[in-house]
Amino acid sequence: MDELKILLVDDEQEFVTTLAERLEIRDMNVFVAMDGETALTIVEQKLPQVIVLDVMMPGINGLDVLERIKSIDSRIQVILLSGHGSTKDGIKGLKLGAFDFLIKPIDIDELITKINEGWKKYCDSQ
Amino acid sequence: MKDGKNIVIVNNNQNELAFLGKITASTTHEIKNVLAIIQESSGLLEDILAMSESKDYPHKDRFIDTLNRIQAQIQRGIDITSNLNHFAHSPDNERSDIDFNDLIKNLSMLAARFARLKKVMLITELSDVPLIIETNSVQLQMNIFGAIEIILNHIQDGTIKLIPDKQDTQMILQLYYDLLTEEQFNCITTCKQWQELESRLLDLGIRILLHTKR
Repeated sequence: MDELKILLVDDEQEFVTTLAERLEIRDMNVFVAMDGETALTIVEQKLPQVIVLDVMMPGINGLDVLERIKSIDSRIQVILLSGHGSTKDGIKGLKLGAFDFLIKPIDIDELITKINEGWKKYCDSQ
Repeated sequence: MKDGKNIVIVNNNQNELAFLGKITASTTHEIKNVLAIIQESSGLLEDILAMSESKDYPHKDRFIDTLNRIQAQIQRGIDITSNLNHFAHSPDNERSDIDFNDLIKNLSMLAARFARLKKVMLITELSDVPLIIETNSVQLQMNIFGAIEIILNHIQDGTIKLIPDKQDTQMILQLYYDLLTEEQFNCITTCKQWQELESRLLDLGIRILLHTKR
């Protein structure tokens, strides 16, 4: 079985780098992207199995990035992040194939649980 | 409104409300991002302290207490911005289906500071079932807030309980104030402002009732 590789995508640099550091402390292998284009490049080059993706980003928005990730490899599990309390984006994202949906700010333990669930789903779909 | 000039004024007001709502909603989104960064930074600090080789580093309890206070204030900030975001989306539709429970819960949190200045606490007792009503959400909130303000102008200390309810087909907002005297009750309910609010709320589909201690 491959090692779990996680990609965090969010245009808030301080948020994404701090979150990456917290996951790395927990021995997770993390890549970071601050826009959709960079995220798609990392997906093709590094082949992460689980992606944590912000919905609202400048340039290509999170839902469009999600669709493109799924067209590259439908097994990749995407957890959407949003700053909104509304579940509208979440429902839209789930319809487009997202694995789950979390509202920012997030609880690190909850995020890790979701990442592990996504990883398991990815492995089961092999 | 029949005359053309008034229609323009109403439309302008709606545009202004929509503009205020849009900017406020977007700003709450930004504030949430700030809170998310503070939360992750304080979490990282906690992680680093937990990694410390010595389990008993200097001022450990003070570090942990301070981090817990930061976390509690982040949660408070999240609750306030979530309520404000919800409120800012009120003008999105002139009339829409709303859950009266949600509206009262949200409004009571937003009005809490006004009550606190009179040493009054606002609490809610929500219905177990959704209380869906099609109405003008902005006007409804404005008038319920107005009713709370009138009560607060007459009282000091104590607790106001807001209970959204439905009897037959009529939506009701019951307000209980635990220290309400007969004199205060008469003063509030006979004032012109209160009676006008009662009438406007009825037009919006809500009957408001003020009671003494429950």
